[in-house]
Amino acid sequence: MKSINKRSNLIGWFLKRPKIAGLLVSLILCIVLFYVVSQRYQIVKENKEKEMENILSAVQQNIGQSLKNCYATTLTLALIINDDNGVPQNFDKIASQLLASNSSINSVQLVPDGIIRYIYPMKGNEAAMGLNILKSKNLRKEALQSVANKKMYFAGPFELVQGGTGIVGRFPVYNENKFWGFSAVVIRLETLFKTSGISTIDTSKYYFQLSKINPNTSKEEFFLPMVGDFSTKNYVSKTISDGDWKIYLISKNPNDVYAQLIVPTVLGFILALFFGVFILLIFRKPAELQLLVNEQATKLFNSEIKFKTIFDQASVGIARIDSYTGYFMEVNEKHRDLLGYTLEEIKNKNFQSVTYAEDLAADLSNLEKLRQGEIREYSMEKRYITKLGEIIWVNITVSPMWQINETVTTHIAIVEDISAKKEGEELLKKSEVRFKSLFDDSPLALWEEDYSAVKKYLAELNLINEDPQIVTAFLQSHPEIMQKCFSLIKVLNVNNQCLIEYAPKTKLEHLSNTDILFGKELPHYFIKHLVAICQGNNHLNIEAQIKNPKNEIRDIHLIYSVVKGYEDTLERVIIATEDITERKSAEKKALNTQQKIESLINTVDGIVWECDVETLHFSFISKKVKDILGYNPEEWTSNPNFWKDHIHPDDSQWVQQFCKTNTDANLNHDFEYRMIAKSGASVWLRDIVNIIIENGRATSMRGIMIDITETKKAEKELNNSFNLVTEQNQRLLNFSYIVSHNLRSHTSNISSIVNLIEISETQEERDEMVQLLKTVSESLNDTMVHLNEVINIRTNIGLVSQSIDLKQYIDTAQNVLTEQIALNDVSITTTIPKNVMVNYNPAYLESILYNIISNSIRYRHPERKPEISIDWFLENDMNVLQISDNGVGIDLVKNADKIFGMYKTFSNNPDSKGIGLFITKNQIEAMGGSITVESQPNMGTTFKIYIQ
Amino acid sequence: MTKKNIWVIDDDPIYQILIDKIIKKAEVFSSFSSFKNGEEAINALNDSLKNMDSLPDLILLDINMPVMNGWEFMEAFALIKSLIEKPISVYIVSSSIAVEDKNKSKTYPNILGYLSKPISINDLLLIASND
Repeated sequence: MKSINKRSNLIGWFLKRPKIAGLLVSLILCIVLFYVVSQRYQIVKENKEKEMENILSAVQQNIGQSLKNCYATTLTLALIINDDNGVPQNFDKIASQLLASNSSINSVQLVPDGIIRYIYPMKGNEAAMGLNILKSKNLRKEALQSVANKKMYFAGPFELVQGGTGIVGRFPVYNENKFWGFSAVVIRLETLFKTSGISTIDTSKYYFQLSKINPNTSKEEFFLPMVGDFSTKNYVSKTISDGDWKIYLISKNPNDVYAQLIVPTVLGFILALFFGVFILLIFRKPAELQLLVNEQATKLFNSEIKFKTIFDQASVGIARIDSYTGYFMEVNEKHRDLLGYTLEEIKNKNFQSVTYAEDLAADLSNLEKLRQGEIREYSMEKRYITKLGEIIWVNITVSPMWQINETVTTHIAIVEDISAKKEGEELLKKSEVRFKSLFDDSPLALWEEDYSAVKKYLAELNLINEDPQIVTAFLQSHPEIMQKCFSLIKVLNVNNQCLIEYAPKTKLEHLSNTDILFGKELPHYFIKHLVAICQGNNHLNIEAQIKNPKNEIRDIHLIYSVVKGYEDTLERVIIATEDITERKSAEKKALNTQQKIESLINTVDGIVWECDVETLHFSFISKKVKDILGYNPEEWTSNPNFWKDHIHPDDSQWVQQFCKTNTDANLNHDFEYRMIAKSGASVWLRDIVNIIIENGRATSMRGIMIDITETKKAEKELNNSFNLVTEQNQRLLNFSYIVSHNLRSHTSNISSIVNLIEISETQEERDEMVQLLKTVSESLNDTMVHLNEVINIRTNIGLVSQSIDLKQYIDTAQNVLTEQIALNDVSITTTIPKNVMVNYNPAYLESILYNIISNSIRYRHPERKPEISIDWFLENDMNVLQISDNGVGIDLVKNADKIFGMYKTFSNNPDSKGIGLFITKNQIEAMGGSITVESQPNMGTTFKIYIQ
Repeated sequence: MTKKNIWVIDDDPIYQILIDKIIKKAEVFSSFSSFKNGEEAINALNDSLKNMDSLPDLILLDINMPVMNGWEFMEAFALIKSLIEKPISVYIVSSSIAVEDKNKSKTYPNILGYLSKPISINDLLLIASND
């Protein structure tokens, strides 16, 4: 069963695909055809080869026969040679008999010792007579070959001496085992061909070829004319060993095998194609029919779906109802949704049971008319009760499903939910009432007015769409027109608030008289109002004043608004007014207070400010900023980064950091920094900052910047004088220490000497002590002189400064030291320009230069030539006189605090007194300068003298 | 009581003459050597150690001297102290009456006392008998 099924499936598959089936059949037939043709080709080819083989074998046999005859001939000829003297007997006679018995031979020869001596027949062959074949270049090799083999050998074919082409068979003859010569036959080629049957070959089909390997060149030579290269052609060949020949039979038409097969092949192919097409046509028919059926089925299915969809998806409810019982037969989804029943539930209901009781009678009477044929359809609004018990409004359209005079069957009811519409109508009614009350009971005084006459009048005056300035000017110069316009306003309606506020009278009185509202005088805003009308503005919002019934002037806010749809005619306009007298006065008060505070702030002698915590954008800055920093408040507040950008560059970073740290911690702070004023000057400010915290979050900062530039200046001066006093005090302390220390060493010595004198035992000893006392007293005196000198320097007594030539003084100092310079071979390099003038005390300068240069010479390095260089340059706005040497140097790490001290020495040099640099430093400082030293042991020392 | 070897380190030549007299008069010292600064004294100490010469029992040391002052000498002395077997008493003898100097001397454990100039025979006898 299964296989049958498979087979029918396969057939079915092909039936559906006629093209593939046709193609497949053609293909199979072609394969069969190809097989048959190839078989046939093999047979024909073999037949042909066999035929050629036969022909060639016949030729070979014929040639072989001829050669054998030649062999017999030569043997016979050899026998006529006399054994004793080697001379042939009866040559001509025997030869003629031999030739007569063998038609294939053209002539015979005897060739004793390789020389042709005997020829028969002589006629026509005379030229060969006497030829020594063993000496002929062409013949020698083949002749020797037969001698060597002791066998007959056929040489050639070659050009015969006597003319024509032929072959020569040579039989070597031995007489008493000694080579005598050859017995030879000559066969002309055409004779050979004739006797071998080559001439009888069917030349239309084949041709013949003869070749031999040339003994001299070892190349295959062909002796018949070549018809092209036949190696690719269809040929057969055989070898004849007697002459080393090769014979060929070559097919002239190697392709005639194909020619025989072409016609049946083409016919077979056409047949296969034809059969394929035939199958295609046969199979196609049922496929086409099947397609048609499918198409129709799809169409049917689609249209069914379409109608089903329309029925189900319709946005109105559709139902088919039994016209007698009222039961629902078919109900679409929308209808079911309306009623809330499922399909099963609704099939068990009739329309009477879901119709609202009050509407049922009308529905039934309509249906009765339909059944009677009085009407063909009806439409009505009625209510349904849904499954949930809700009442919904529907519009129902009923159409019968029967024709006139036919039996009543069912009808179609199309149901539309109109609950929303009904509800809307209800709402509209309600809102009308509400809006009416909204107008009447509005807390704002409202007027409904008609401005159409005003607009018409303005149009007559050609003021509509005119330039507002022109209109204003025109109206100002024509008060009577304004008056006219005013009188043209018609009041249509007013609300209760209006009556209360402006005219405690009846509404009717109001409507008849606008004067009551606005008094006799024209309100001053009216001109603006008219301009707005001319410009086609439908909304106007202005502040105005109005007199109330108590004759009080009240501030009002007046809103003029054209009712939608009346924009062109201005027939309906709403005027609303709000009494803003109280608000106005409150605003005025607030404004006054603000102005007061602002003027107060602006009189404060400091910049009062407010800024945002995050952005540091200043929202307020008092006018004092102009006085203190020169900027306008607007300049400051308009630039978010103004403050940051105008802090003094030296302060900017720490100020912002300080500010941020405190702000982040919500700490009020108070700090001092510099800002750059508009003039470019630095202004010291004390900034007192308060963080304003709202709802636990810092929102803004307020503060005041006070100009403390003057205070800062004073502070600086105070600091300077404090430093001065401190320094002087320090010097004084140093000095007193020096004094006490240096004097004490002398006094203690004196005390010791006195004591020794007292206990001395001999006069000699006493004298010695007295001598020592003298020395001590001299030292004491020296010290006193030094101290006095220092005190003089310190107190500036008799200190006179004058403008002096520096270069000249350096020269003087060198002159004073000439002897030492010369003695120690000192070289001094001075790079001081001429005419450098300094304001200095001449004695001090002399002393300073002398001290430092002599120091440099004194502390020269023992191993090198002393070199001193004196330079003059500017350093930080101070003049510097620099004196450098290449001497022994000083270990400043150890001695930095002592180098300029009194009686401080660093070597055992007897000239060191420890007073020179001390005096020098004091002198320099007295002149308002300073001295520094740089030195490295064994490298040298550099002193820098700073001169004011 | 064996007589002691005393070294005086001071740059004041007058003082050197005077202390020489006083030492002789005190008659408690076997020998007396004087040095102009700390460096000379340290070199002498090193030489004595090398040559096995006699080392001082007592050193009188001034503070303010060129080349190597008293404090620097004490630091150099502390470095070689471990090589010295016998005890050496060091006294500061200075004309300075500054409290700072006196206090500073107390920070050196090898300094036994601080004497202000002038120094008398009795002072010498006292420090000689202290050992």
